[in-house]
Amino acid sequence: MDIAVLVKEVPDLEARVQVVQDGGALDVENKRVLNFFDEIAVAAALQLKEAGGGGRVYAVGAGSGLEAVRRAIAMGADAGFLVDDPAVDGADPLTVARALAAVVRAEGFDLVLAGRQATDDEAGLVGPMVAELLGVPCVVGVTAAEPADGGLVVGREVDGASERLSVPVPAVLTAEKGWVEPRVPQVMGLMKAMKAEIGRRTLADLGVEPVPPLAAAGYHGPRSRPAVRMVEGEPAEAAGELVRILRDEARVL
Amino acid sequence: MAIWVICEEHGDGLRRTTQELAAQARRVAEDGEPVVALAVGACVGRAGWLDGRVHRVVKVAGGGLVPFSADPWVAAVAAVLAEAEPRLVLWGEGTRAREVMPRVAARLGWPAVANALALEAADGGARVLRPVLGGKAYQWVSLGGAPALVAFRPNSFDPEVAADLDTRVEERSAEPCEDRVRVLERTAGDGGRVPLTEAQVVVAGGRGLKDAANLALLEDLADALGGAVGVSRAVVDAGWADHAIQVGKSGKTVSPALYVVAGVSGAVHHTMGMDTAKVVVAINTDPNAPIFKYADYGVVGDALQVLPALAAAVRALGT
Ligand SMILES: Cc1cc2nc3c(=O)[nH]c(=O)nc-3n(C[C@H](O)[C@H](O)[C@H](O)COP(=O)(O)OP(=O)(O)OC[C@H]3O[C@@H](n4cnc5c(N)ncnc54)[C@H](O)[C@@H]3O)c2cc1C
Repeated sequence: MDIAVLVKEVPDLEARVQVVQDGGALDVENKRVLNFFDEIAVAAALQLKEAGGGGRVYAVGAGSGLEAVRRAIAMGADAGFLVDDPAVDGADPLTVARALAAVVRAEGFDLVLAGRQATDDEAGLVGPMVAELLGVPCVVGVTAAEPADGGLVVGREVDGASERLSVPVPAVLTAEKGWVEPRVPQVMGLMKAMKAEIGRRTLADLGVEPVPPLAAAGYHGPRSRPAVRMVEGEPAEAAGELVRILRDEARVL
Repeated sequence: MAIWVICEEHGDGLRRTTQELAAQARRVAEDGEPVVALAVGACVGRAGWLDGRVHRVVKVAGGGLVPFSADPWVAAVAAVLAEAEPRLVLWGEGTRAREVMPRVAARLGWPAVANALALEAADGGARVLRPVLGGKAYQWVSLGGAPALVAFRPNSFDPEVAADLDTRVEERSAEPCEDRVRVLERTAGDGGRVPLTEAQVVVAGGRGLKDAANLALLEDLADALGGAVGVSRAVVDAGWADHAIQVGKSGKTVSPALYVVAGVSGAVHHTMGMDTAKVVVAINTDPNAPIFKYADYGVVGDALQVLPALAAAVRALGT
């Protein structure tokens, strides 16, 4: 089974973030990692490759995602591709999806995996968009999958219910926490990743015309909560006062 | 042009988020611009609330739409919207929006924004607010005049809106469509309680609760407040609770009116799942716990004592 994994590089959640230029721009500390959910997708792809009796796992990134692609190779992916085009950073998700879909279509695939969402924008748009562009079904938030009857049996939790689904391949699945625990790459993997030849494609190579992205119209910092107001007293007393405040002042009860 | 709202059902009626979106659409619509609700599948028979509150309801029934199924929904929604060319299409965040909206966007070639928190009228169109980097900053995005799809987190808007319109109802039937994905098995969900992401009140607990049995204290307070229960990852990792109710980076994002959080230290991985809650009450034995930086009200004390005291105080209000 040939499996493509869509990977994105995102700022680490510990990275310092500052709104600058009077709300005109964002200054993000340059600490970048492979997206948490994509890491699960890579690990799941490797597991499925084994269970399915071989095939190829390749990672596809875009824009400034070179290190994410290398990380996926370090984890065990066989190859990596990058949509290497300045127009991709800050592009509309649809442009990114069209580019990734074009790479996957050209390379061939039985399955495409992506993370449930990226931790920077938490949007979860690109994976299902790629499914639609490739004309294959899509299941989001997957926590289990195994080969069965030429397709897959897929498990997931939705709104408190658990589901088992029969999914024909090719298909797109997006990975949720709980599927596979990603392993930290070994030295051998890191060396292989460093030397790996990454296949680079521009949007023009792929025949993708970028759509104009929606305009950013300003940033602001987190709503600063006023300093916390401590409610004192023994549990019963503090609880009584708190409930009074929540009802009369905060008006949430 | 028009603003469209994609409906979702809940119980015998509509999901609260659908009501919020319809109400907000009315507030931001331009003079004379209609608000249209699209009721697909199971929503068809549950759209009563919309009567008088939107200008038009388009009901779409047909094979494969009930129970919800992604392929038929994508086909049905895309077919209606392609003809309608709306200015804005509003969705409520959740599994359905996650499965359907991006595919409709790709099919129609329209831009989409997920995880939005606010919608305002702006010069030459509308603008929406969305968090970036786990709520470390927020970004306004201009939508301009061309059609765009936007999904909003639950509890982003007030659902109150006057029922003062003469609503026109249109009934259509979708082309038959079979889902390529087949359901082999589906266990019933947690039917009784409000879903975590929609709840107006969330009572959350962390490792400071000491033992799985003490999660009952969260349940009890949540029951008293009519809310849902959430937990930190440490609680899930300890095997005390299911990942389905984890709040944070690798769990759910919640935006309730009230978030009560006990025995949680306040790691950024947790707070990014709750920082848009309107009012936060933190309970922790450590006066220097970072969670107090994300709280409006704090109690320094033992959660095992303060939680039951709170439940008792809340119940005393009701009597
Ligand atoms: C990639 C990644 C993803 C993650 N995703 C998430 C996520 O989605 N959600 C999440 O929550 N975490 C997540 N985490 C973990 C997160 O970093 C924290 O480790 C976790 O939130 C800690 O849980 P906690 O606050 O319950 O436990 P602790 O950090 O152990 O805190 C326990 C707190 O309880 C207090 N306490 C002790 N006894 C009592 C008592 N009797 N009464 C009251 N208070 C008491 C202590 O003072 C302390 O503040 C993630 C981490 C990583 C690396």
